Amino acid sequence: MALRANFSVLFASFKMRLMTITRYPGQLVMDIFIPIVFAYMPILLGRASGSNPAAVFAANTGTSNYIAYMLIGSSVFTLVNFAFWHVAYWLRWEQEAGTLEALYLVPTHRIWVVAGTALYSCLRGMFSALAAYVLGSIIFDVNPFQGEVLLALVFILVGLIPLYSLTLLYGALILKVKEANALVNLMQWGVSFFMGIFFPIAIFPPLLKVIALLFPPTWMTNGVRSALLGVGFFFKTWYLDLAVLWAFVLITPFFGYWVFNRTERSVRRNEGVGQF
Amino acid sequence: MEQIEKPQKQSHLTAELSAFWAMAHKELIIMARYPVNFIASFGQTFLIVAIFTLGGSMFFRTSAISASGSRVETSTGNPSGVVVYGFILFMFMSDTLWTIGYNIRNEQVQGTLEQLYLSPASKFASLIARVTNTLVWTSLLSLTAAALMTVMIGKLPVKNPWLGLYLLVMTLAGTFGIGFIFSALTLRIKETAQTVANFLQFGLLVLCANFFPFSALPPSILFLSRLIPLAYAVDAFRSTMMGFPAGFPELAPFPIELMITTLFGLIMPPLGYILYRRAENYARKHGSLSTY
Repeated sequence: MALRANFSVLFASFKMRLMTITRYPGQLVMDIFIPIVFAYMPILLGRASGSNPAAVFAANTGTSNYIAYMLIGSSVFTLVNFAFWHVAYWLRWEQEAGTLEALYLVPTHRIWVVAGTALYSCLRGMFSALAAYVLGSIIFDVNPFQGEVLLALVFILVGLIPLYSLTLLYGALILKVKEANALVNLMQWGVSFFMGIFFPIAIFPPLLKVIALLFPPTWMTNGVRSALLGVGFFFKTWYLDLAVLWAFVLITPFFGYWVFNRTERSVRRNEGVGQF
Repeated sequence: MEQIEKPQKQSHLTAELSAFWAMAHKELIIMARYPVNFIASFGQTFLIVAIFTLGGSMFFRTSAISASGSRVETSTGNPSGVVVYGFILFMFMSDTLWTIGYNIRNEQVQGTLEQLYLSPASKFASLIARVTNTLVWTSLLSLTAAALMTVMIGKLPVKNPWLGLYLLVMTLAGTFGIGFIFSALTLRIKETAQTVANFLQFGLLVLCANFFPFSALPPSILFLSRLIPLAYAVDAFRSTMMGFPAGFPELAPFPIELMITTLFGLIMPPLGYILYRRAENYARKHGSLSTY
């Protein structure tokens, strides 16, 4: 089918999801509220910890601005959260909605449908993450636009591609194991742990550190923190860290797509994709 | 001709208990049929505990302190006690909202609600049966989380165990009552209940100060905390288990908190039941019981 027609399917999928969520405005409010609450908890624990929490925090992380540090972490967690729930859970969602059979009958490849879902997820995630970060900064009386804001945005935008590729890999696992809710719940917290949303990964033992560095979101989170708060890039300079992220951009989409395709074909040959 | 055996008459109480056990058994069987879900719950608990504990430890640990091996104490007592006991109550509170409160929708979605209402079995037993699930599953998760946090933060103080147990029972009874009330709300507002449950879960997390002492809250939020009985229950429980260190309890003198927690545990379940029956009757009269 022509490329134009495929993009038409992509935007139709995107528009459908967008229309659905606008029917639940309360959910959009919660999307902004929850990251602020998540960040609030370690912030409050820090404030109760002693006479000079900022100094102790700076000794451990490289910045005394623990509020922005936590807010950045929880905002990036929001992005990761949406990526996993919307894309990795996508096929399961189609099964539950009863539209999966129709998807397999149309001439368009399903990748264009999931790409539309990914675009929706990106938009919603970015909006929620940025709104939570700015609103949280205002509430806690911190400047949200300190440091190199454009560089931080570049890290986020570049990091989104490998992040969503990772969700394809995970979607393949869900196709096989089927217990989607439990696995997505586990993975979102797993990735958040390895990303170090509230702490630097420098505190990990060597093996965990290596695993953490294999996760693109880890580079994304540290890139944003280093750009805004100056905590320090992994390779000391921003362009080297960005280069690593670009390497992930080149490798992970093809790998993720290949694994998902293989798994889907295998499931179709055996128990069938409709079983859930 | 074969003699037809007369069915044995069961007393009303025996029938109720039998129905309750059947429903609880069903919930436990469903739990056991999803082993990945079961194992993932423990994994998820471990990760959540690790994330928030390591994040909080950024305010405590320094290289000097780590080298000396000494434990850091917050300005308001042992952080392990404050965080772990608060976390345990948060897990029950959160699970109550979802497993008891929102789970009524599962019966609607599964299509088993109509059968339940056609049978002579107690409808309220269905609600109570989910309490069993919460007690078993959430207790296991809480124990796991407590053990993990103890390893990561520091030794957990365990003082006044019997008084602590009494306060825990009263607090759980009160949270179950909140679950019944939320179940009633779910019957009215349907899918919007998911958003409300999320809001309540995180709102109570802050207002009841489950992960930090109440002294960390700004005055405007502390004012709201003082209006919530569950906040006094959290404060009383962890103050008791920590052996009443200086500054604890934080919201009110202990005898007052004990009274509030007791009243919370005694009043909320019957109140929740009354509100649930009202919502149920409303839904039946307006034909919305099976709609979701």
